[in-house]
Amino acid sequence: MARGAEISTTAVAEVPLSAQFGAAWWIALIVSGTLVLLLGYTLVSVALVGVGMWGVNVPFVWGFDLINYAWWIGIANGASLFAAVLVLRRHDLRTAVNRFAEGVAFFAVICAGIFPIIHLGRPWLFYWVFPYPATFEVWPQFRSTLTWDFWAISTHAILTSLLWYVGLIPDLATLRDRARHVGVKRAYGIFALGWRSSVRHWAYHQRAYRGVAILVLPLILIMQSVVAFEFAVTLVPDWHETRQPLHFIATGLAQGLSIVLLVAVLLRWALHLERHIDNHDVELLGKLVLASALVSGYLYVDEIAAAFFTDRLTRDALLNRMTGDYAGLYWSAIVYSVLIPQLLWLRLARRSVLAGIVVGVSIGIGVWFDRFSIIVGGLQTDYLPSTWRTYAPTLPETGLFLGTLGLFATLLLLFVRFLPVVSMFETRHDEHLEKL
Amino acid sequence: MTSYAPYGIMAEFETSQGLARAVTALKLAGYTRLDAFSPFPLRDVAECLGVRTKAIPWIAFTAGATGAILQYVSQYWMNAVDYPLNIGGRPLHSWPAFIPSTLIVTVLWAGVATLLGLLLILRLPRLHHPVFDVPGFERASEDRFFLCILCDDPQFDQEAARRLLDDFSPVTVTDVPACE
Repeated sequence: MARGAEISTTAVAEVPLSAQFGAAWWIALIVSGTLVLLLGYTLVSVALVGVGMWGVNVPFVWGFDLINYAWWIGIANGASLFAAVLVLRRHDLRTAVNRFAEGVAFFAVICAGIFPIIHLGRPWLFYWVFPYPATFEVWPQFRSTLTWDFWAISTHAILTSLLWYVGLIPDLATLRDRARHVGVKRAYGIFALGWRSSVRHWAYHQRAYRGVAILVLPLILIMQSVVAFEFAVTLVPDWHETRQPLHFIATGLAQGLSIVLLVAVLLRWALHLERHIDNHDVELLGKLVLASALVSGYLYVDEIAAAFFTDRLTRDALLNRMTGDYAGLYWSAIVYSVLIPQLLWLRLARRSVLAGIVVGVSIGIGVWFDRFSIIVGGLQTDYLPSTWRTYAPTLPETGLFLGTLGLFATLLLLFVRFLPVVSMFETRHDEHLEKL
Repeated sequence: MTSYAPYGIMAEFETSQGLARAVTALKLAGYTRLDAFSPFPLRDVAECLGVRTKAIPWIAFTAGATGAILQYVSQYWMNAVDYPLNIGGRPLHSWPAFIPSTLIVTVLWAGVATLLGLLLILRLPRLHHPVFDVPGFERASEDRFFLCILCDDPQFDQEAARRLLDDFSPVTVTDVPACE
């Protein structure tokens, strides 16, 4: 939020209420909508034909499905964690980025949730992981990490969507009150649930919102650890390490922050929200991204150092990731997620739209390579040399991944079109506190 | 049957300070059934109105504890009692493996109960409310501040209340008719 200057939240409210939204939005929506159709096509074809369409085979039973799942969930967790910290710290930055950071988290968790379900092979039986009284009187096996994941993903999806929605209610009421057409008024009115801005309601609303933000903090750390446990509890030499959760949390946070930065610079540029997401905000976000990239860098060094203190098999597995068939991915991950973000040391880069996009995309790509390197490269030289093969995704798998990118973009575009991207009541509140 | 009893009387203010002054004075004058409306949270006014939000953390705690116990006990019962599977001789009641989902489900119960409990406490959603009939009330979600004396206040007297509110130089003072 702009400091000192008095600003009105009208500009934010007018964005979703405007009748026209420009050709660029439509073009973007058509492109991403096409990718959503591709997603539908690949999902249906996998359901009809089976996972034999994918490049996965023993030992690579987890290919693109888990790579992309781990990647999306990293974005979701990083963005959620960031949003929760901002709320709890009552930081200035929260007014500017909190709303869409939570949105990014919610959309990413939807994309992430698709993969574990579809990779079951018979996705329509996914409810078997839920403990329900089945005819055969069997129960899920809770000593398996995979059942933990069911709770983690569903909890994250439910809680981020609820938190996001509850935070939106007062702003939906503003849109209801400002809407010029009866239909639009009713549409926002229904979702505003009859919010009447009572001071009594505000007090409860703030308490509950902050309370749930506190709950989100441990949830995210546990959840990202559960993703890592799925690898760490197996006996695969490169995966079976206690440092795995830390690696996933650190790189996931960098990734979440980088996507928030990417969305921030894009929104600011596309919706002319320079006064709400000002230079100071983008610069602070840039610094956070830089710091988290440095922590990722530290964990890569830690990985190499730890290899010297461990047994030969683990060391060989790591060396294989660095020099084997998938070496390119390992080194690209370091370049993209640690080295390129160093650009943000320059103030000029922190303030530039282009650099924000470059670094945001770069960390996204880097962490994706990292997940690929861990999931495929880490599994390549197992205990059984007879199973030493390689894995490459097939077209349907790639289509599925592109489809989730399209879904994410579509949800983001619809969010930008129909909802206020910056929390209006928080902006008003901050402005009020500054005047005192 | 149509009731002509009013819901209350509403004053509109331009600033939050105006609202805060009026609330403090009316409280001192002994009014108990007041409600204030503002485009953003006003902590001091809420305190003055005697809003207590202690229920929220209790809801979270109770629901979280219930969820935690339920999740842990059900995992134990399913995997160690009702459907014991010997996997490589590992203990049936391996409590460390039951912890992650117990923690996650604790958060799920606490979070969902807090947010749904919030709506329950606020009596939302509701389709209509008498205050929405006040002309210009839509600015309560934008830049105006409102104070309402409810008619069920023991001291409520339409004329006296109007005179009292006029002292704080409001923009307007309006009668709020009750809904049928």
